[in-house]
Amino acid sequence: MTNEDINVIAPTLATRRSPLYRRHLQYQARFTQVGDNVVVDSYCNETSINDEIDVAESMGLCDLSTLDRIGFKGINAPKWLDSEKFHVPVLANTAEKQVSQSLLIKLSAHEILVLSDLLFHSKDVKRLYQNAVENHQNYDQQVYTLPRNDSHCWLAVTGTNASKMFSKLCAVDLRSHKFAQGAVAQTSLAKTNAIIIRHDLNKTPCFYILSDISGLEFLWDCLLDAMSEFNGAPVGLSALQTLVSSK
Amino acid sequence: MKSRLPAPYGRLINRQKPIQFTFENRTICGFSGDTIASALMANQQYLLSRSFKYHRPRGVLTMAGQDANTLVQLPSSPNVLADKQVIEDGMQVTGQNYSGSLMRDWGALLGVFSRFLPVGFYYKAFFKPRGMWEKWAPLIRKKAGLGVIDQALKPAYHDKQYKFFDVVVIGGGPAGMQAALSAAVGTTEVLLVDENSSLGGALNYSRFDSDGLYASDLLQKLLNDIAANPNITVMTDAVCNGWFADNWLPIIKGNRLFKVRAIHTILCTGALEQPALFHNNDLPGVMMSSAAQRLLHLYGVKPGSKAVILTGNNEGYGTALDLQDAGVTIQAIIDLRKNPDYDDIAKSAVKKGMRIETGKAVYAAKRKGSMHITSVEVRKLISQGICSDHGEIIACDLLCMSVGYTPAYQLACQAGAQLSYDDASAMFTITNCPDNLHLAGSVNSLWALKDVLCEATNVAHKVTNKLGVTDLVLESPISSSIPSPNHPWPIFAHPEGKEFVDYDEDLTIADIINATGDGYEHIQLVKRYSTCGMGPSQGRHSALAAARIVAAATNRTVADTGVTTARPPFSAEQLGQSAGRSFYPVRRTNMHYRHLEAGAQMLQAGAWYRPAFYADKNLSTQDCINNEVANVRSNVGLVDVSTLGGLELRGPDAGEFLNRFYTFGFIKQPVGRARYALLTNEAGVVIDDGVACRFNENHFYVTATTGGADGVYQSMLKWNAQWQLNVDIANVTSAYCGVNIAGPNARKVLEKICSDVDLSAHAFPYMGVRCGLVATIPARLLRVGFVGELGYEIHVPQQYGEALWDALLDAGEEYLLKPFGIEAQRILRLEKGHIIVGQDTDAMSNPNEVQMSWAVSRQKPFFVGSRTISELEKQPAIRTLVGFMIDDKSAPIPQESHLVLSKNQMVGRVTSCCYSPTLDKAIGLAYVPPDTASEGDTIIIKSTNGALVAAIVTKVPFYDPDAKRQEL
Amino acid sequence: MKLLSCPLNGLRNISEFTYGGEYHPTPDHRTTSSRDWAEHVFFHDNTAGIVIEWWCHTPSSFWFLAERNTLTDEVVRTFTPDELYTKPTIQHEPKPETTP
Repeated sequence: MTNEDINVIAPTLATRRSPLYRRHLQYQARFTQVGDNVVVDSYCNETSINDEIDVAESMGLCDLSTLDRIGFKGINAPKWLDSEKFHVPVLANTAEKQVSQSLLIKLSAHEILVLSDLLFHSKDVKRLYQNAVENHQNYDQQVYTLPRNDSHCWLAVTGTNASKMFSKLCAVDLRSHKFAQGAVAQTSLAKTNAIIIRHDLNKTPCFYILSDISGLEFLWDCLLDAMSEFNGAPVGLSALQTLVSSK
Repeated sequence: MKSRLPAPYGRLINRQKPIQFTFENRTICGFSGDTIASALMANQQYLLSRSFKYHRPRGVLTMAGQDANTLVQLPSSPNVLADKQVIEDGMQVTGQNYSGSLMRDWGALLGVFSRFLPVGFYYKAFFKPRGMWEKWAPLIRKKAGLGVIDQALKPAYHDKQYKFFDVVVIGGGPAGMQAALSAAVGTTEVLLVDENSSLGGALNYSRFDSDGLYASDLLQKLLNDIAANPNITVMTDAVCNGWFADNWLPIIKGNRLFKVRAIHTILCTGALEQPALFHNNDLPGVMMSSAAQRLLHLYGVKPGSKAVILTGNNEGYGTALDLQDAGVTIQAIIDLRKNPDYDDIAKSAVKKGMRIETGKAVYAAKRKGSMHITSVEVRKLISQGICSDHGEIIACDLLCMSVGYTPAYQLACQAGAQLSYDDASAMFTITNCPDNLHLAGSVNSLWALKDVLCEATNVAHKVTNKLGVTDLVLESPISSSIPSPNHPWPIFAHPEGKEFVDYDEDLTIADIINATGDGYEHIQLVKRYSTCGMGPSQGRHSALAAARIVAAATNRTVADTGVTTARPPFSAEQLGQSAGRSFYPVRRTNMHYRHLEAGAQMLQAGAWYRPAFYADKNLSTQDCINNEVANVRSNVGLVDVSTLGGLELRGPDAGEFLNRFYTFGFIKQPVGRARYALLTNEAGVVIDDGVACRFNENHFYVTATTGGADGVYQSMLKWNAQWQLNVDIANVTSAYCGVNIAGPNARKVLEKICSDVDLSAHAFPYMGVRCGLVATIPARLLRVGFVGELGYEIHVPQQYGEALWDALLDAGEEYLLKPFGIEAQRILRLEKGHIIVGQDTDAMSNPNEVQMSWAVSRQKPFFVGSRTISELEKQPAIRTLVGFMIDDKSAPIPQESHLVLSKNQMVGRVTSCCYSPTLDKAIGLAYVPPDTASEGDTIIIKSTNGALVAAIVTKVPFYDPDAKRQEL
Repeated sequence: MKLLSCPLNGLRNISEFTYGGEYHPTPDHRTTSSRDWAEHVFFHDNTAGIVIEWWCHTPSSFWFLAERNTLTDEVVRTFTPDELYTKPTIQHEPKPETTP
């Protein structure tokens, strides 16, 4: 251990821990703190962050499971989100970036998922959670929160090879011209149930995966195996943030 | 390479790249692109293998990877097709299925006795007396063995990939290439698949005009057009091995299985040339006409020096021209037709002055002092299948058969198309294809190149119209402009037999006729009785002849006789193709690695990993488990219960829903209390249990068993799809990690890290539920008692699981808190007499049988199993689940499913049984007849090794019968 | 692999679905005869022709119904359960007891 390592943030610093943190440590991850949570910043020294961005542009996998997200269900959930200044798309299985930068996904007529943005511009998720607790804790208005923070992991698969890689794991056609920006598929990925969302990071193709958190390690290993043909590797949040901010 | 021809012969070989390999330890030289068979043929090694049953010498038959004659052994894999496998430097090839050597196989002596080895011989001869077959089978199987498996082989990495196309064209011959080109318009994405290394099919080797030039010009044009069309994806060396519902096509290329979904499939799979049946039609040197042409044009190999052509069509004349052009002497063309109707190609052969014998047949092939054909006996045809008594011997070392084709119908038939037989063309034809499957080319009985191309274009236009890409006027379907190449009866029985119908299985005409004579008249029965079509080539070359022979023998038409079902796979595939890279999801709790670090032995419960017990290398497994039990009873233990199902029911009708779904009453359940929830299905059978916690008038949190959670959730949703109650149901199993801290010191530990909930017995009684913070983590606390001690289940959001676990172990250190596993938990619950649904219940268990009637509400109007349970209560009980104890400590402890006996009859069975460290004796649960279910009754259990063990029926719980400890 | 059209998620491989049995209305458990109840619980119509079946899209836990021809295995149409079932009015009485 070098002296520098003393300043390194340990993933166990937070009480909320991704089931993958030991795998991240094996990959020499450097962690960063986001609010109360810890997330992988990068898997390299800062000098080679450009290499990690290159990986992300071609075939990267990022664990976002400790970042904030929330779900809502119930007949009045869309209406309530509307009153909370969200724009809810008409069609089910579509995702829409909100003005606040967070991503709203309509899964069915009465089910919605909200993901925070990678640059943390919006505090939507925290606000929604607070307001829901205040307004709907009696569960008599047909608006129900779903604990998506913990029921589902959150992964990002990035890069130009992403859809090719998915074709080894998923029977839904995720090629660019068939699964455009904002498309959502609730399907089976490596025999586990998953929600797949196309949400590009500027020009870099990106797919978010939300899947049962208890199967996260299994899914992570499957994805890395499928990615190896494209020289894919884990990437940290920092590389993704660079892609989001780049013009 | 004595038989090698100069370029342009040998399209597939690269003469600049010589390659050396060994065959039977002899060094063989070939060129890059050669198959094992073509390289051997170039070196005049004609003998490739020995036949399956009689060990007859065999050589090249199709040169298309379609027959079993060419199966050879490579060090790492048996049953390699020598006419398909490309050679590599240093490759070690041996023959297989012989005793001694390939040249001198004493197994061939069996052939001498073949008349005593009729179909069914082995089964008939060795089946009796009982047990005999087991002794004989290994010897017989060895004799009929197909190669040697390398058991040290490390399997290669195989995987799978999905692909999506608008149109998939299977077969890259002229029809397939044209169909792909015509379909690849607009946005249509087309996949063109061919099992060969290059596209072109028959254009690569067959003769379509008298000069033999047209085919290669056309091929070049089609190849150029395909290469220029971005809509077309080409996969060569790829075989589509089946057709499954809605155009789901398994295509194998290398070590990857592609699962391809097409909107439309166009089959251009072509036709398979068929052998003629005459005495010794299996000798090396006897081959399909197309095989000889493939050898010439694809590999630049002269298949012989003196050839006889047996033909029933004009194509045989094309082969004769090809062979003559390559320097092979044409001894004679034997034309089965009495008055042939010549086309230009045949006329050109006639013009060249070749010897032509019409109305004659090859009656027998001979191999004087050789492993190879040396001559044929040609006789005049008198009537169908009957030859004159005498004939002429013509010397030759090559006999090419050109008597007709069978369409490659396998995929079409798998798709539900009908195979019928057209007497006029003497050919199988395919009809009634489903709407999304189309045929073009020779698979659709078209033979003239212009017909084939025209039909391929037509079909492609039909498909693009259906896809909405084009709106073209369609031509009417084409019928063949030239006569059928099939001869109706190229079958010539010989008094000495050996006219092989099925080369793979060494079946002759008599074998097939005998099968019908033994009463197996249906073609499916003929197949199973004679094994015709069951070999590696799956009847590709035997189905037509077998159908004709069976039809004649049973006085039916060939159409009525039909063929056997052509199931996938079309060609042999390695197990790795289907087995490779399968997904078996596993689930872990957030505390998983803490268990491993503590030495836990993990077990899998469904997809979940759970700690069975925590190992201590100084102690036996049983002692580890017993210590864990003791620590819970006397102190405090901690178990991971995250795998329990968790279901959130919220909304005004949540209570109403639970009231209908579970057996208990939930409407009046107080907020802040938990209630046992027993689930039955409509048949009144117990299918799950858990507890329902009411956190709010409109909010229940219900637990379910580890294995039952997903099913319970799905069942809840299905019932509410019918009831339409105003309730939201969410499966939050994975969203929460849970632990159960149990034992007399549980409260003391918890109090240290939970300050915002009053944990006193008065404020938070047994079966109470609360929300609060445990070690700053938001938690749900449930005072439930599965193990029968003071205990709290603590449920926290999943990603806090490890932190919670650490905090509790830390707080519990001073009380010697120890984790315990599933094994200890099973003992603890059994001491309390709690049942495990699925272990102590089966598919017939109703609540009364398992003594759970206390959990069934009689006041409420309805629940899912209510009507059936009340019906069952009108009938006498059949069995009862009771507790039992075994006082005799020397008796072997019974295990699950050991029988309960009465007067030597089975009357019940044990469902759970173990040694109870707390009571120091064996305890268990068993189903017994109601008349022996009273406390104090003795039951007899047939335990391990048949020992009869007496057990006393005991009231449960065995431990703490007044349930004082959990209410501390 | 057969395709099935989910009213929520569209065309998917049949392996994404769970079969839920034949649809038939539940007889009134209070008034129906023992025999009819037993028929309902234990017997299936196994009709040769068009049947209505329950299917669940497993990844989204979405239940729906399908009209399928058992002779041809052709799915004629799929639809949501609210075509066949209506919402009841529930009296929320009695109220939960207060904790003793």
